[in-house]
Amino acid sequence: MTGNQSAFFVVPDGLSAETLAQALDRYTVESRPRQPERAFALLDCHDQSLQQSGRLLIEAAGMLRLYDNRGDSVSQRLKGRGRFPKDFPEGPMKQALSGFPKLRALGVVGEGHISRADFLVLDELQKTQAKLHVTALSSPNERVELVQVEGLRGYDRAFSAVSSAIAGIKGAQADVAAVFPQLFPGQARYQAKPHIPLGKTEPASEAATDIISTYLGVARQNEAGVIKDIDTEYLHDYRVSLRRIRSVLSLFKGVYSEAETAGLKRVFSDLMQPTGRVRDLDVYLLEKESFFNLVPVSLNAGLEEMFDAFQKERARELNRLSRWLRGSEYEKTMRSLAARFESATDLASGPSANLGAYEYACALIWKRYRKVCKLARSITPDTPDEVVHDLRIHCKKLRYLMEFFGPLFDDKGFKTIIKPLKRLQDNLGLFNDCSVQQEALLEFVSTSSGRSGQINGQLAMAVGGLIAVLDQRQRQERDRVIANFEHFDSPKIRQLFRTLFHSAKE
Amino acid sequence: MKTIACYSNKGGVGKTATSVNLAYAFAQAGQRVLLCDLDPQGASGFYLRVKPSKKLTEARFFEDVKRFTKSIRASDFEGLDVLPANMTYRDFDVFLSRMRNKRSRLKKALVSVGGDYDVIVLDCPPNFSTLSENIFKASDLIVVPVIPSTLSERTFEQLIGFFDAHKLPKKKICAFFSMVQRRKKLHLETMETMQKQYRKRFLKTVVPFSADIERMGQYRAPVLTYAGRSVAASAYKSLFKEIKKGVGPVK
Ligand SMILES: Nc1ncnc2c1ncn2[C@@H]1O[C@H](COP(=O)(O)OP(=O)(O)OP(=O)(O)O)[C@@H](O)[C@H]1O
Ligand SMILES: [Mg+2]
Repeated sequence: MTGNQSAFFVVPDGLSAETLAQALDRYTVESRPRQPERAFALLDCHDQSLQQSGRLLIEAAGMLRLYDNRGDSVSQRLKGRGRFPKDFPEGPMKQALSGFPKLRALGVVGEGHISRADFLVLDELQKTQAKLHVTALSSPNERVELVQVEGLRGYDRAFSAVSSAIAGIKGAQADVAAVFPQLFPGQARYQAKPHIPLGKTEPASEAATDIISTYLGVARQNEAGVIKDIDTEYLHDYRVSLRRIRSVLSLFKGVYSEAETAGLKRVFSDLMQPTGRVRDLDVYLLEKESFFNLVPVSLNAGLEEMFDAFQKERARELNRLSRWLRGSEYEKTMRSLAARFESATDLASGPSANLGAYEYACALIWKRYRKVCKLARSITPDTPDEVVHDLRIHCKKLRYLMEFFGPLFDDKGFKTIIKPLKRLQDNLGLFNDCSVQQEALLEFVSTSSGRSGQINGQLAMAVGGLIAVLDQRQRQERDRVIANFEHFDSPKIRQLFRTLFHSAKE
Repeated sequence: MKTIACYSNKGGVGKTATSVNLAYAFAQAGQRVLLCDLDPQGASGFYLRVKPSKKLTEARFFEDVKRFTKSIRASDFEGLDVLPANMTYRDFDVFLSRMRNKRSRLKKALVSVGGDYDVIVLDCPPNFSTLSENIFKASDLIVVPVIPSTLSERTFEQLIGFFDAHKLPKKKICAFFSMVQRRKKLHLETMETMQKQYRKRFLKTVVPFSADIERMGQYRAPVLTYAGRSVAASAYKSLFKEIKKGVGPVK
């Protein structure tokens, strides 16, 4: 019957009927024939969302099985690797993975062999009191067992007794995610935004160097995923890491010498350059469905043609990008950057290099905040779009500064500020997306017509329709900016900014 | 949900043996089955190695839905659960009416733990007269094992008389001959007369007297699990088929 109690434990190694019988002294243990060994793959996405949420997803023999720490397991005949859970057919697996990041695909964390053996826990009448399902998992160098204790209706006490006996086995853990580090030790956890500890009096140049060095590492962790084209988030995270580095270079004024800064800016801008087009195309392709929803069905044929062209171009561009990332020049650049950012002493310092990080941060954030306010308060319905674009950039810079220096400040005050700031940024982001997309569409039309001399009618209509809708959206977003800023510009937030970043000056 | 009572106004006729094997056959056929052991001796629980629950004797037992659902025990066979013995008549009465009421808290509680049953088999104790009428009303079928002897003829007559007197639907009664020994002339003669007299009341299946059935006490398991090819096993299989047809669709 369904609804049985169940619990999972991860134990280090080979549970035999004898060790079980020893642990369960009140009961006897009967083993059933072990199933033959098969190959398996442990799946998760790059930021390990399953492991972080205490789940384990195993693919073996065409079946996917998901274990969680509530003792449930879901299985379905389905292929998982390389796929997006959101694209799974309707069924228990898709439902169980509904919280999985939408843009992430399942990748292989590691591979090995799996076999399963079942045991019955019997009382003195040979009546089953509980069942044990033991899944042995081995990677090339390690071995663990995942033990499921399954209760029988009406045998709650036996279930508890058996569960605590298993929990008492040396090295046992009541967490299915413990399989990850035990089978595949030494796999670094990927974090797109790692916590970078900073000291209040740490020299500003050291802070900058720490941040840059960390994000160089994050960028590198994404290279393989970009090359294998697992999902679009790898390239996105790669670019965000480099962009953070560039913003440190431009926002942390005076930490490095002018020449050093200019040189580094050039290097990182060159690194970003080959990634831009693929990312743009990714964005369009991800938006494909929403584009189709924007225009009437009569224009679908034209859109289809446009997206076909995008798809083809992406394949070419990605090919080019992968070659660049695999190339020796790229490798050399990244290695030498990593070496240079190992410590601040290898970089020519600027006039602010030795300022204490806290003092330095307060000054930068306060200044940027004042700029945002001044600009935002000047915006009226008649202000040109360029000013709104500038506001977006200033807000972004403010946000970066706050994130970089976050560890130096009170967490609660920070969160209070970030919330309305984020809302304003989302609003400005949408405003910007609409305008960028319109430009891209116009650009697309002009290059398409350039090649054939004359643009195909269906395509032109589709693009025309889209631009009209996007323009209207952009105006709607713009109209919300003033209200969102007012929200951010509340007396409470103003006060918070003052106390957090400007109190020393008063 | 269908309720099938194994009942007889005479002791030792094979009610418990029938209940256990029938319940097992329904579960094997994919139904979710609850076997209620109403015998204070806990005979059907014994055959399935389920110990009687002490808590069941507590007076307030049926007020407490949670504890009730908890006292149900899984057998070692897929789809077959047991409600162990030790129920008072009053408790049992309440139990039956709640099981039949879709909106009762008991029913809902069972559904919520994935334990709604398709078939309930009642193993009635001998001398169950106090509640007989309720059982007859609450059950969809009343399976009556009859040993073909002169004494049994008389008790069966009494049962039919009871149904007539209380205007109960006699077509619920599914009798069958139990512990039949074909070597005994008396058995064959009694069967012939009773079949004539109660033509519609008797199933075709005849369960023979069999050492394999007696051995249930040793194996503590349904006959079908340890002597699947025996004459006894095929008798229970054909009994199951006839009864399944008799109760109609169970869901
Ligand atoms: N067909 C059969 N052949 C041989 N022995 C049988 C058969 N059916 C039952 N028995 C045995 O006869 C005895 C009584 O059977 P059972 O307990 O099933 O009857 P019952 O009607 O439930 O009895 P009670 O009225 O005491 O509850 C048991 O020992 C059982 O093993
Ligand atoms: Mg009995």
